[in-house]
Amino acid sequence: MGTSAGGTRLSKYLVFLAGAAALVFATPVPASPGQSSGAATASSKPLSTRVVAYNIEAKLDPVKHSIAASETLVYQNLTGQAQQTFPFHLYLNAFQPQSTFMTEVRLYGTRGTGPDSGWEPKHTGSIAITKLEVGGMGDLTGRMQFIHPDDDNANDRTVFQVTLPRPVPPGASVEFRIAFEDVLPEVVERTGYKRDFYMVGQWFPKVGLWWKNAWNCHQFHATTEFFADFGTFDVKLTVPQNEIVGAGGDLVSSQNNADGTKTLVFHSEDVHDFSWTASPSFQVVEDQWTGSAGAVKIHLLMSPGNRDTAPRYLKALKGTLQLFDEWYGPYPYDRITVVDPPHGGQDAGGMEYPTLITAATSWNMPKGLLVPEVVVEHEFGHQYWYGMVATNEFEEAWLDEGINSYTEVKVMDALYGHDTSFMNFPFLTLGESEAQRLSYLGRPDLDPIARFAWKYYGSGTYGGITYGKTATMLLTLEGMIGEDTMRRAMHTYFMRYRFTHPTGEDFLKTIEEVSGKDLRWYFNQAVYGTNILDYEILKAYSDPVNWYEKKPKFRARPESHDTVYRTYVTVHRKGDFVFPVDVEIKFSDGQTVTEHWDGRDRWMRYEYERKAKIVSAEVDPQHRILLDRNFYNNSYRKESDSSAVRKLANLWMFASEWFAQWVSWIT
Amino acid sequence: MAAKPKTFLSGAGLVWRRQGALWWIYIVNAALALLSAGGMVERAGDALNHSLAAQRLVHGFSLGALTELMSQPEAPLELPGTGFLFFPFVFLVFLLFATGGVLALYYRDERLTAGPFFEACGQHFWRFLRLLVYLVIAFIPIGIVGGITGQLHDHIDEAAISPYPAVEVFAAGAVVILLLLMCLRLWFDMAQVIAVAEDEKRMHKALRRSAALLRRNFGSLFWLYFRISLIGWVVCGLALQWWKNYVSPESGGAAFFLGQFIIVFWLSTRLWQRASEAMWYRQYQMEALTGAGVTEPEPVLTPVGAAAPVR
Repeated sequence: MGTSAGGTRLSKYLVFLAGAAALVFATPVPASPGQSSGAATASSKPLSTRVVAYNIEAKLDPVKHSIAASETLVYQNLTGQAQQTFPFHLYLNAFQPQSTFMTEVRLYGTRGTGPDSGWEPKHTGSIAITKLEVGGMGDLTGRMQFIHPDDDNANDRTVFQVTLPRPVPPGASVEFRIAFEDVLPEVVERTGYKRDFYMVGQWFPKVGLWWKNAWNCHQFHATTEFFADFGTFDVKLTVPQNEIVGAGGDLVSSQNNADGTKTLVFHSEDVHDFSWTASPSFQVVEDQWTGSAGAVKIHLLMSPGNRDTAPRYLKALKGTLQLFDEWYGPYPYDRITVVDPPHGGQDAGGMEYPTLITAATSWNMPKGLLVPEVVVEHEFGHQYWYGMVATNEFEEAWLDEGINSYTEVKVMDALYGHDTSFMNFPFLTLGESEAQRLSYLGRPDLDPIARFAWKYYGSGTYGGITYGKTATMLLTLEGMIGEDTMRRAMHTYFMRYRFTHPTGEDFLKTIEEVSGKDLRWYFNQAVYGTNILDYEILKAYSDPVNWYEKKPKFRARPESHDTVYRTYVTVHRKGDFVFPVDVEIKFSDGQTVTEHWDGRDRWMRYEYERKAKIVSAEVDPQHRILLDRNFYNNSYRKESDSSAVRKLANLWMFASEWFAQWVSWIT
Repeated sequence: MAAKPKTFLSGAGLVWRRQGALWWIYIVNAALALLSAGGMVERAGDALNHSLAAQRLVHGFSLGALTELMSQPEAPLELPGTGFLFFPFVFLVFLLFATGGVLALYYRDERLTAGPFFEACGQHFWRFLRLLVYLVIAFIPIGIVGGITGQLHDHIDEAAISPYPAVEVFAAGAVVILLLLMCLRLWFDMAQVIAVAEDEKRMHKALRRSAALLRRNFGSLFWLYFRISLIGWVVCGLALQWWKNYVSPESGGAAFFLGQFIIVFWLSTRLWQRASEAMWYRQYQMEALTGAGVTEPEPVLTPVGAAAPVR
């Protein structure tokens, strides 16, 4: 155990390990958590309860795609009780064939494009601890023990724990000194290398988080992300001198070394992670934005061939910064780094780390396809919903991904238009809210929103529910309580819980508090349940009251304004989701009647008697209930209108004809 | 062999003169597509004709509305289920049947009544079916080239520092495959012309003769084929651009006519190639007879469909 995860690699990387070990003991212990050695935020006071202080020295070997490093972690025991056993994440060990991560990838796929289709050696990633010492307690390497709290996979090495010889009293701190060796995979699931590009995330031994009176340190799963304490990071990176480096921290110093390397020192505070990137091929684009908390430097690291996308990234990022600042609260950090992964390295794209995000584009990205904008918006949004409001991504992924998808809709719609915020071609459009709703409609009833991320039916439902349903659920909620109230609730939630670790209930209660409404009936169904919401106009027609009178034969009876009709409109609740709805009925005399139905029964029939026939009936005429599974059955118009079908038929016919001609080319 | 500049335009003229072939093929193509669309109309009509939400598809074209329609819980619009794959296959079989008659028509450049036309169709159907089998076999090396290109791309992508070389190799490979496919089609086109012109029953022999012909006259024949393809791509591409940019989303009529124009033009370019190839071969035979052309391979002048009355 212990170093065995990388045991076979030990000899190969002996030189680096020796160097790392030397660094471990030569490095001064950093200031205890809470002390600042740089200006990583716009605030002079700590913004968070700084539980951890990481001091890491790392050296990149770009030939072997490995990192030899040492880490000193000072952990402040604020758990209120003595702690003797400490769990640590070793995320990089997920990229091994027998890990829980890979087992789940084989079962139901993953969000990336990496090893789904089959394992290749280049997908291998690992992190091996060669030495673990604890201040005042000596070398405890032999006490390390891999654990698997979420399953029975003894081959999973993404979490280990170490039991100290004696407990750390409440309020005291403990210092871990760890030497470790990373082997990076070719980019898979957010991290790794591609050619000369490095995206180094989740790369160091990271202590678990004491939460709800227990250690929370889950294994790395195919659908899970992260959860960690706030603190400070002082990171010293040694890389070849030609590397252009970006990191989730302020650059404190840079020094060239005699061996052709350079050492960069970064500092970051009030964050819970540190990631970095390097490539000699980056083109740097600098910009700045000023918000309510001060100036924010924007570092854009563009990969070859993607330079044309830089203005699109910047426009989306600045617009997002502005709207988040206005709507939800200030962005307190003094920088944001955007990493544009290179061609072929897209698996590193679309990821968030504190003050560093990865974007996504491709060569010749069409202007009408707003993927770069959406990704930058989404990943920046995580600075709020994950970065600052640091919810548990393992257990309540909807609180970061879902809320972030909701704010993504709001921001993208505001910046790029409601119906065109995802795709805007002259012949084809797609709005963000539609995109989120569609992702939910794929498999709407397999999993509730509130479910541990790795316990979803599969990666598809995880994505559809966690992102799509949560966003759609919140948009529907917004329709219920109003946009302004919803925005105030989001603002309150952010300001109240930033730099803490709130739960789903904290979020839901904040919305109830701000709106002044009891919304539990809705949350129970939408968040905790799997009920389908689907209302339809089952039947709508008008019948002359004097229907029994004979019609004149061989000539049409003239339309009489005196004819009285009895109109029936039946609304049907097809799904089990009970939701009060408005029903709008329009009559031929121009009159409109709006009914309100509590939706409790399975159906409701409305009856009218007037000198006009029905023109149309529609459930939810304001189109506020986005959770409704089928919009087409929400309305009924008396007069048939086949223009949509004709249009579809025309396109279908054209496509069919052309396809037939292409196929027949072989004759 | 010297290029035959007149063949290019004369081929177009021939398609124009014998445009009945074009229209009949188009009618079959359109009729099958109409049948294919029929199932969709029925299903989509149930959801759309009385729904106010259908307007999302009329004014503009929402991908979300379309996707929602296609995933209707009660009656999803599945592509295979609505004949999208079946009817094109039927058209393929029809065209395989009709090609013999069309080539006879172009080769003779005379009006053919239904009898001789269908006789030529029937006479060559099984031959061309055998050719199709040969064509599928001939795809194998092109598939291998594709595989090699992919592996080369992956290898370079792994090894190179810059992302460009791998993509350039891939793009070059794609162009090579495209050109190979065109050469292959030209080879089989000429084999079909030889089969019709000389009533060649043995398709492997027709292929051999076609290969020999191509070897000696590759430049002129490929240029002929390529130019017409290029015109088809350019005109259809421009028409699609026009559709995209200038045809109102609500305009049903304009979209229909523009769409059908593209279909007819695309079809006519393929027939243009066929006509040009038939004319080229006829000229080649004439020159061979007068001694002006290449004497190898020796063409055999045989009346097309000897049993068929020529009018």
